[in-house]
Amino acid sequence: MLKSLVARTGILCRLNLKRDGLKLLIWMVGLAGLFTAIAAKFEGIYGTQTALNTIAKTLKTPAMVSLFGEFTAKMPYTTATIFATEMVVFMAIMMIIMNIMIAVAATRGEEDTGVLELVRAHTVGRLAPLLATAIELTSLNFIIGLLFGAGLQLAQLPGANTTGNWLIGMGLAASGWLFGMLTLCLAQIATTASETTMLSYAIFGGSYVARMVTDVQHPKLTWWVPFGWIEKLDAYQTNRWLPVVCMLLLGLGCLIGAALMSYQRDLGAGLIAPKQGRLRASASLMGPTTLLLRQLRGTLSAWVIGSAVLGAAYGSIFNTIGDLAKSNPMIKQLLGTSALVAANRLIVKQFIAVLAIVLVVVALIPAIQIMLKLVSDEQKGILHQLYATATSRWHVWASYTGVAVVTAGIVLLAGVGGMYAAGHAVMTTPVVWTTYRQVWLAYLPAMLVMVAAASVLVGWVPKWRYLAWGWTFYGFLSLYLGRLIDLPKWARQLTPLGFVNQVPVHALDWSTNWWCLGLTVLLLGLASWGYRRRDLAQ
Amino acid sequence: MTQATPVLKISHLQKRFGKFNALTDIDFAIYPGEVFGFIGPNGAGKSTTIRILLGLLKANGGTATIFGQDVWQHSVAIHQRLAYVPGDVNLWPNLSGGEIIDLLLKLNGDQHTAKTDALIKAFSLDPRKKARTYSKGNRQKVALIAAFSTDADFYIFDEPTSGLDPLNEQLFQTQVLQLKQAGKSVLLSSHILSEVEKMCDRIGIIREGTIVETGTLADMRHLTRTTIDVQTVQSLAHVAELPGVHGLTVKAGQNHVSFAVDADQLTAVMQYLSAQQLVAITSTPPTLEDLFMRYYTAATPDRK
Ligand SMILES: Nc1ncnc2c1ncn2[C@@H]1O[C@H](COP(=O)(O)OP(=O)(O)OP(=O)(O)O)[C@@H](O)[C@H]1O
Ligand SMILES: [Mg+2]
Repeated sequence: MLKSLVARTGILCRLNLKRDGLKLLIWMVGLAGLFTAIAAKFEGIYGTQTALNTIAKTLKTPAMVSLFGEFTAKMPYTTATIFATEMVVFMAIMMIIMNIMIAVAATRGEEDTGVLELVRAHTVGRLAPLLATAIELTSLNFIIGLLFGAGLQLAQLPGANTTGNWLIGMGLAASGWLFGMLTLCLAQIATTASETTMLSYAIFGGSYVARMVTDVQHPKLTWWVPFGWIEKLDAYQTNRWLPVVCMLLLGLGCLIGAALMSYQRDLGAGLIAPKQGRLRASASLMGPTTLLLRQLRGTLSAWVIGSAVLGAAYGSIFNTIGDLAKSNPMIKQLLGTSALVAANRLIVKQFIAVLAIVLVVVALIPAIQIMLKLVSDEQKGILHQLYATATSRWHVWASYTGVAVVTAGIVLLAGVGGMYAAGHAVMTTPVVWTTYRQVWLAYLPAMLVMVAAASVLVGWVPKWRYLAWGWTFYGFLSLYLGRLIDLPKWARQLTPLGFVNQVPVHALDWSTNWWCLGLTVLLLGLASWGYRRRDLAQ
Repeated sequence: MTQATPVLKISHLQKRFGKFNALTDIDFAIYPGEVFGFIGPNGAGKSTTIRILLGLLKANGGTATIFGQDVWQHSVAIHQRLAYVPGDVNLWPNLSGGEIIDLLLKLNGDQHTAKTDALIKAFSLDPRKKARTYSKGNRQKVALIAAFSTDADFYIFDEPTSGLDPLNEQLFQTQVLQLKQAGKSVLLSSHILSEVEKMCDRIGIIREGTIVETGTLADMRHLTRTTIDVQTVQSLAHVAELPGVHGLTVKAGQNHVSFAVDADQLTAVMQYLSAQQLVAITSTPPTLEDLFMRYYTAATPDRK
């Protein structure tokens, strides 16, 4: 019985490898290379004890705790313990994104395109495709974990030990794997690939926010958040393996759940039953733009709400962050009340400047996704129907680009708005709305350049459209970690986001905004020209 | 043949995908009120031609015009008066069939009319289902209903019945005949030869990216062989030596054979046969299938 359920898993594994090989290789090399490169650079950045003490002080502030987790390193600080604090959460985010993307494409993605139906028609066990994907993810995470461990061994950070190196490598692998297995489980519940992606990111986003709030307020509670386990490794100190065990157990549970559900359900169906549709189109469904909005309304509302919740979660800790007196009662006497308020406000502003980058990336993801959807809709043949009617190329291109641009603006606004609202509720002397508006105004033009660049790829070289993700990812990396890993200025300015100068700590620079807007217009012109003269992708 | 201005005119159309020449030389025209059958083996380039006509692909050479306008430059104006149904209908997964029909009509400036409702009923489509849950045939019905309720002048169908059951296929044929009677032009690409034979006024055969033959079925019959099954009193041993006789098979002894004969040698062969004193003879005109086989299996020119 069991044997027939998993028949031909081996062949499917080889097929998966053939299909995903390049993608897996890029992730492996990319992540391991990034990790090792930063590790190698670390000694140069934090070589002296003074440098270590300074960065430790920064990492202890609530703002940094909210980004990187509780600071648990004990005196005397070593390069290795600082590295463990700074890198673990960030790398875990990358691992999780990788796992979600690959797991969705290999399960629901295959089902949506009908490939799975073909596969299942052969003498392939009912659970074999699921198991093959699980094996693929397991090997991928394990190999990356090994590479991380090996990279750390090579880097020989002062204060590191072999157990700690492998603990970090395996811990990151396990946290990625856990979310991979969770995605397999969600793929059985949702009905389509995009629904699965949404559900996975919703849970991921939720746990990110939960761990941030618990980290800042009650670090012990972070144990209740699976995403937070990665912070509890205590590498190079007590070297705890318990979190890794927890992740493996929960991941295994998810895999078993996925197998049970997959065994029960019909091919192509989910647990969420599809509703009946409308008999006739409503008057509002009348062109490419409304059509796109009609398709995306669920996704877009989810992004707006998600961004607002994330912003609000950040905002809700502003009182903790912006209270110097709490951590150091002497300060109040030293500075005097009004100076203290000003100092507190500056800290909050600094924090907003750092967080803005998270909100910006969160807003860029749906915008770029919509932009690239133009090509995937072509490939699915959906747009052929549209183009057979009296609808011009320009109109369709403009709809997708327009919706992408507006999405970028609205999702960022929701995030900034959520931050403002929550900050306003918890702070005694809240930061005024104008400050938040500046953030929005400062980042939007830079984001538009990136959306427009994605549009150019779509218009001219649709095969290379994934470069847009690479660029966005680099933008996130260079700004989230840039200063901490001492990335040179030119490297941070490889994306337009790098030109936005720490608003709201510094004033909004309109000259940057203007050239970004000018560049956007130029790129959009180029994109629309290209899109009108190329073959439709198929 | 009417010498009115053609609705569709294609000359020397060429299309390359990288190094691969998908279309090397496409040439044909369709006149008002005509149903044109477009047939050819898999991968011959039918869908590619149609996609060029729709402005989805850009030709590398030659010209194609619909209503006298260039298909690439003026696609929007052309599409106002055109309807299209592909063989693989892909729809917006979370829209219902009813919504999609209305949307496609609206995009062409048409309305959901009583005719639309009648078509939905005739094709027995449940318009409330989400497109994701439709079967292949049902997705095709959605596109067909939208196309037939559009008031267009030119209809393009690319294997429109590949997923339909015989009842709905019948309905499709009736609808196309109605279009024809209303003076509309139709381009029908299909692998169902009986359908093409029944409905089309003229036929174009495409192979390896080149049009190898166009004309009416009668014209084409003339170009090919008639099958003859004959029984005579005297021996037919020498039939095989006559010019234009192919594929002789002996049915019973020397006096009952069947063979195929080239149209231009038919008279000579018949004279010879009657000289052998006929007992029974049946002659079968070539079906489209025979025609088709002949063109399909001919030597392959290099397309690289
Ligand atoms: N985008 C593309 N890139 C490369 N080759 C293509 C592309 N589209 C079509 N082709 C090739 O062009 C040739 C013609 O394809 P086309 O779809 O027009 O055939 P068809 O006559 O419609 O066949 P069928 O009867 O199977 O529908 C095929 O060999 C196909 O592989
Ligand atoms: Mg075809």
